[in-house]
Amino acid sequence: MRYFFGMVISCLMLFIGACSNSREEQGSIVVLSPETAEIIAALGAADEISGLTRECTYPPELADKTIVGDFGAIDKELVLGLSPKLVFASGLEQEALAMDIEKLGIKVHKSYPKTIADLLQEIVVIGGLIGKEKQAIALRDSLAGAIQEIKLANTGKTRPKVYLEIYRDPLMSVGDDSFVGELIELAGGDNVFDRLERDYSRVKAEQVILANPDIMICYSRDSRASISARKGWDRIPAIAQQRIFTEEDLDPDLIQRAGPRIIAGISKMADIFEQWRTFGK
Amino acid sequence: MKRHLFLILMLMVGLGLMALYLFWQNPGPYIIWQVRVPRLILTLVSGMSLAAIGSVYQLMLGNPLAEPYILGVSSGSAFGSILFASLGMIILMPLGGFIGAIITMLLVWRLAQKRGSFDPQRLIIAGVIVGMFFSSAISLMMYLNRQDTVLILGTLMGNLGRIFSYTEYRVFLALSSLVIGLLGWIYLKSRALDILSSSDLYAASVGIEVERLRRQLFFASSLIVGIVVSYAGIIGFVGLITPHIMRLMGYKNQKQIFPMGAIFGASFLLVADFFAKNLSGIELPVGVITAAIGCPFFIYLLLRK
Repeated sequence: MRYFFGMVISCLMLFIGACSNSREEQGSIVVLSPETAEIIAALGAADEISGLTRECTYPPELADKTIVGDFGAIDKELVLGLSPKLVFASGLEQEALAMDIEKLGIKVHKSYPKTIADLLQEIVVIGGLIGKEKQAIALRDSLAGAIQEIKLANTGKTRPKVYLEIYRDPLMSVGDDSFVGELIELAGGDNVFDRLERDYSRVKAEQVILANPDIMICYSRDSRASISARKGWDRIPAIAQQRIFTEEDLDPDLIQRAGPRIIAGISKMADIFEQWRTFGK
Repeated sequence: MKRHLFLILMLMVGLGLMALYLFWQNPGPYIIWQVRVPRLILTLVSGMSLAAIGSVYQLMLGNPLAEPYILGVSSGSAFGSILFASLGMIILMPLGGFIGAIITMLLVWRLAQKRGSFDPQRLIIAGVIVGMFFSSAISLMMYLNRQDTVLILGTLMGNLGRIFSYTEYRVFLALSSLVIGLLGWIYLKSRALDILSSSDLYAASVGIEVERLRRQLFFASSLIVGIVVSYAGIIGFVGLITPHIMRLMGYKNQKQIFPMGAIFGASFLLVADFFAKNLSGIELPVGVITAAIGCPFFIYLLLRK
């Protein structure tokens, strides 16, 4: 009996020892959100990332990191196996997951910027968490400066009406209050849905036809030919004049991910709107 | 006399609803013709088909809980639509739905046969099992293709706001005509179906070819359900409650229940879709509204009678 207790106690001590060892080895970070991965890489801390989700595809230097699952389906064992000191998660379906990871004693930072102001603030917060405060402030200031420049450049210009389609069946678009809606307005466009019940929401076909958009940005995986053949849509200026821009023309990650690349996204949209001002009206 | 009045009242209400549906907020003739008329046709065809097929299945299967989706064809059709969409062929979704419906229909029919003879219980079991199989396949696709979740939910909860291309619309009109033709043919079989529901032996003794009639009814109704699900997704409740409401209204035989149910089903779905479109800022899934309006209405009728 004494041997038995001795063995149990030894096993327990070994187990506790192993656990505390693994805690001591902690140091890396695991990033579950593609936009946070881009921010961390832009702050020059890509080396500290040990695990990522499959959607974290940018920048290319992240390609050799361990994949811990998809955005909405993460393998918690893989995350734990990397013994991270900090996990960066997003909102939406990752909220519940973040709580699960927190229960295991790992620090989790949730980041889901809904506006440009949120993004600029979040960059500094993330910088503080990974010890890159100075770089974060510099990045924030450079982004804020670039945004201010774009804003000034578009002041007083005619604004094309822009319709952005996320989904075809059912039809979904973005409101002005959404992150993408804010970017469209900043780039000098006028998003056709000023107010929607949600940031990304179902809309009616007749609302789009009545709004008469000048430019259509289509992320619903529909082709130009198919969009042009939609019943009743052929009178819309964007479609009649073939100003339909798809994923190939404007990378959705540039405007849908709240990260440093939004400047490229806004500039690209501003170019599209400028083309309309020059040739399209 | 009372029933005739009810018919006239229902037709008038139906016409009023159609006018409201088309002219609400006066969007102008272009929108009415290009967007609202196609949606109106889809709503009417779906509503009348679901209600009419519901009454046929309840009689044919001898089960008051039978509804157009019980034989699995809807799940097969929804699976076909969703599969095509997730492969990037969103505009071919109705075709996928149609193929899915045909495959499921043949599979269920084959499973329902027992050494050449037919057993309604076996048909229900085969339908439910095949339906469950395709439902789990849909769930798996929803889990694997997160980006298609909205589309899958749209199909599973009903979506009458389909965007047609000009060609697609012509195909839809042709298929709608086929649906109406098939419904007309099923209507002509109402009396035989009533007799069939009493017993196979009795039906055979009065000269009905029982096996043949059942097969024809099964294939015609499955085809209708397949077409409806391909375009409108799965809209629950209409097919289940309408025949019961007609019975509560005092209609006894299939020859009355079938056409009256079709008119009621079409009007009911029109109301439900009107609310789905206009109740809140976001368009709601019509399947949610049919249950939300249908349940209290059904309970009210049940308590009154």
